[in-house]
Amino acid sequence: MKIGIIGIGLTDFRIHKEPFYNLAFEAAKKAVNDAGIDRGDIDSFVLGGYDNLGVGRTIANMYVAPAAGGYLRHEIRVADDAAFALPMACMRILAGLSDICIVVGFGTTSEIPLELVELQSLDPLFYRPTNLSIWAYYAIQKYAYSSKFGVDEERIAECVVRDRKNAKSNPYAFKREELKLDDVLNSEYSVYPLRKLETAANCDGAVALILAEGTIAKRLSDSVVWIKGFGWSNSNYYFEDFERLPATKFAAEMAMKKAKMDSIKAFENYEVMDLVSNHQLMILEALGLADWGKGYEIADSLNLNSSGGALSTNAYGTTGLFLLANAAIKLREGLFDSSLVHAMSGYARRSCVSLLGV
Amino acid sequence: MRRVAIVGVGQTKFRTRREDKTHPELAFEAVKKTLEHSGLNINDIEAVVYGSMDPFDGIYRPELWDSTSSGIFKPHMKISTGGTTGLTTALAAYEHVASGLFDVVLAIAVQRVGECADAQSVLNTAVDPIYERHSGVGAIHVASFQATRYMHEFKATEEDIAWVSVKDHKNALKNPYAHIKMDVTVEDVLKSPVICSPLKLLECCPRSDGAAAAIFASEEVAKKIRDNPAWILGEVTISDNYYIGDRPNLAVWDSLALAGRRLYRAVGIDDPKKDIDVAELYSAFSIQEILELEALGFAKPGEGKDYAKNGITFPDGDIPTNPSGGVLCTNPIGASGLIRIIEASLQVMGEASNQVENARVALAHAWGGTLQFHTLFMVSSSKKFGR
Amino acid sequence: MEIVEFESFWNIPYKHSAGKHASKFFHALKEKKILGVKCPKCNRVLVPPRAFCERCFVECNDWVELKDEGVVETLSVTYVKFTGLPDPPYAVGVVKLDGADTGFLAYLGGIDLKDWKKVHEKFKPGTRVKAVWKDRPEGKITDILYFKPVEL
Repeated sequence: MKIGIIGIGLTDFRIHKEPFYNLAFEAAKKAVNDAGIDRGDIDSFVLGGYDNLGVGRTIANMYVAPAAGGYLRHEIRVADDAAFALPMACMRILAGLSDICIVVGFGTTSEIPLELVELQSLDPLFYRPTNLSIWAYYAIQKYAYSSKFGVDEERIAECVVRDRKNAKSNPYAFKREELKLDDVLNSEYSVYPLRKLETAANCDGAVALILAEGTIAKRLSDSVVWIKGFGWSNSNYYFEDFERLPATKFAAEMAMKKAKMDSIKAFENYEVMDLVSNHQLMILEALGLADWGKGYEIADSLNLNSSGGALSTNAYGTTGLFLLANAAIKLREGLFDSSLVHAMSGYARRSCVSLLGV
Repeated sequence: MRRVAIVGVGQTKFRTRREDKTHPELAFEAVKKTLEHSGLNINDIEAVVYGSMDPFDGIYRPELWDSTSSGIFKPHMKISTGGTTGLTTALAAYEHVASGLFDVVLAIAVQRVGECADAQSVLNTAVDPIYERHSGVGAIHVASFQATRYMHEFKATEEDIAWVSVKDHKNALKNPYAHIKMDVTVEDVLKSPVICSPLKLLECCPRSDGAAAAIFASEEVAKKIRDNPAWILGEVTISDNYYIGDRPNLAVWDSLALAGRRLYRAVGIDDPKKDIDVAELYSAFSIQEILELEALGFAKPGEGKDYAKNGITFPDGDIPTNPSGGVLCTNPIGASGLIRIIEASLQVMGEASNQVENARVALAHAWGGTLQFHTLFMVSSSKKFGR
Repeated sequence: MEIVEFESFWNIPYKHSAGKHASKFFHALKEKKILGVKCPKCNRVLVPPRAFCERCFVECNDWVELKDEGVVETLSVTYVKFTGLPDPPYAVGVVKLDGADTGFLAYLGGIDLKDWKKVHEKFKPGTRVKAVWKDRPEGKITDILYFKPVEL
């Protein structure tokens, strides 16, 4: 059975002054219109995004379910970046329980103290008392990565330049001003050795995708974007392997295996959730596109982060789905024929990889 | 569609506080029991679905720490949907297997409300801060609204409703995992202090620490694991609008009635009273069982109030409801929904501690939000209803 | 062996945008007015007002002024102190305001709350109630102090 994306909806990604459920409504409504259907055609509503601390209220899906159009329908919420909700939606369709399913994600980074929120995910006994913020952890990763593999500062900082260059021509991205290598290298530090400009561009926004079972997708759309495969994985809670991203590796392997695809290098586009500069290279290596420490050698030869990546747009809770939507839009426009989209969460210890094609 | 069954279940003993274990250790206890019950080992588990209602436990995203208890480098998914969490976690695990992508999937739900100073203050954060949080409403209040309205519409007495508590407490005495073990009379219930009128202390659920888990397997694998798996006949989940004032009538749980109709249609149930042998319903407050029985077609509107009083919902009655003691006696919030399907499964497996005779078809239910969500599951000792 | 325990307090600040619709509602409260929205498709008048009708899945931008008077649908009196929640006793209920199709969650008051049976009798479902406003409304939901029974 094939699963296709037949509708895409996004709000602007910027700082909003609307509650998250209104953003979700906007994205869902856009997706429904884009697919040329009514909310009544959708039989299942799979929500993604964070809850309680991540959004400022408990059981956030109480508000998002009706906003997504799920009034008196089947709705479930995967509490993670919305990219992780895609497998749930796909599995429901594959099980024959759904024909048309909407996936909705939102992120309102501007309303939350992000670092304090993420800190509470560390256990109260051993890790939390160290006050290891996400940026501090990512900074440790940068340090471990660059010293273990001998990767220069400049190579890592180039990742920011790369993303911003792409964001400039992406109307959906948040931070779209190009940066020069010197701009990045001379900017102030966030947590040494990470510079502020090397960290994700926090903003708000919502994304909705309408998925349909293959035969129905073909009836409803002439420009279906097919979901060829997906995989997801966790990794050890206890910090190890600072210089690698094992969850990404396992997620990609699962996706390729389930899709029965051989070569991970065969994709014409890659969108990766680089929450900080060094992540971009680490993700390429974890995906298996380059040897450890050699990501910079291939980064420019790939069609990488045409969306601008997370370094240009990060709405905490839906960044992964944002990257996916961007890839899907470009696939529709014929800019490339296949895309691998990567997302991660939980101090980079969880990952979800989706494979798209036309 | 692929047939799926529950082949192993596990619960920890539920108490006010499990100070003897950390979060992942509590999760591990349930995982271990479930593996033992199914005869599988951790490497047989291909994927994990984890449910919890953070932030009660004082940890945001406890699945990160707890995932160490169920195997790392596995696909691991977090489900969190308020009170229905335990059952939507089961739903997600079921769909993992039904999709054909996995043969053996673990559903686990963990809650440590005992670590939170006051659950109601956390529940208050669920209420919309823009319009409604100021009104000091938590879960008990919304159930009290149901009780007030039901008593007004159907002339139910406090005594009628108190009987549900008597039944649940009696049933819990037979459940080795139950939290509250107290034999209470109607007078005991009526004399207990009023919390939110008209509901009294003994009509309200406790807060419990604990974990529960269940393993879902595909037909071919299930057959190899045990002779008496609990087959999943169907599942339904429904979401109403958020605002409490949007409910047309708080004495009638119409969103549950809708969900019930959909499930019965999918499974082929003609008459729930005759076709379903036992029900594990999420009745966190005495009044709720009454509304649930009526919404699900076990009783006509206004009739449900007499069921407990007349023994109908006792284990030896016509419509045994919550023989485990239910949520009223054990409530590890995010796990309570999973316990409903675990107890329902044990009933049709013939392994329940308070076994209903000849239980072949069982219903599991959970509600969540501001009386907003419902999830329902039908399990059976047969692969298909009616066989 | 003694189990070690740690105390922790969450003090996590948020700033929630009410958005255009709720903001309009709050500004109206300053003038002791309660506003709802009318769905252009199903014509229901919804309060609290919201950006979209969940049934029709369309935006709602037609504003309706409602009376600050209505009918009690249900209620409950709280007698227990919960951390962070108001000191008991306090009564909360759902009031169907005149002109609205949905109920409004609000405090009920103006009478002695000690005996819940008396409160339930005084405010029984169907009772007409009217809002008691703060003298100087601030544009917050608490400008409506409570609803009290309308003496015939």
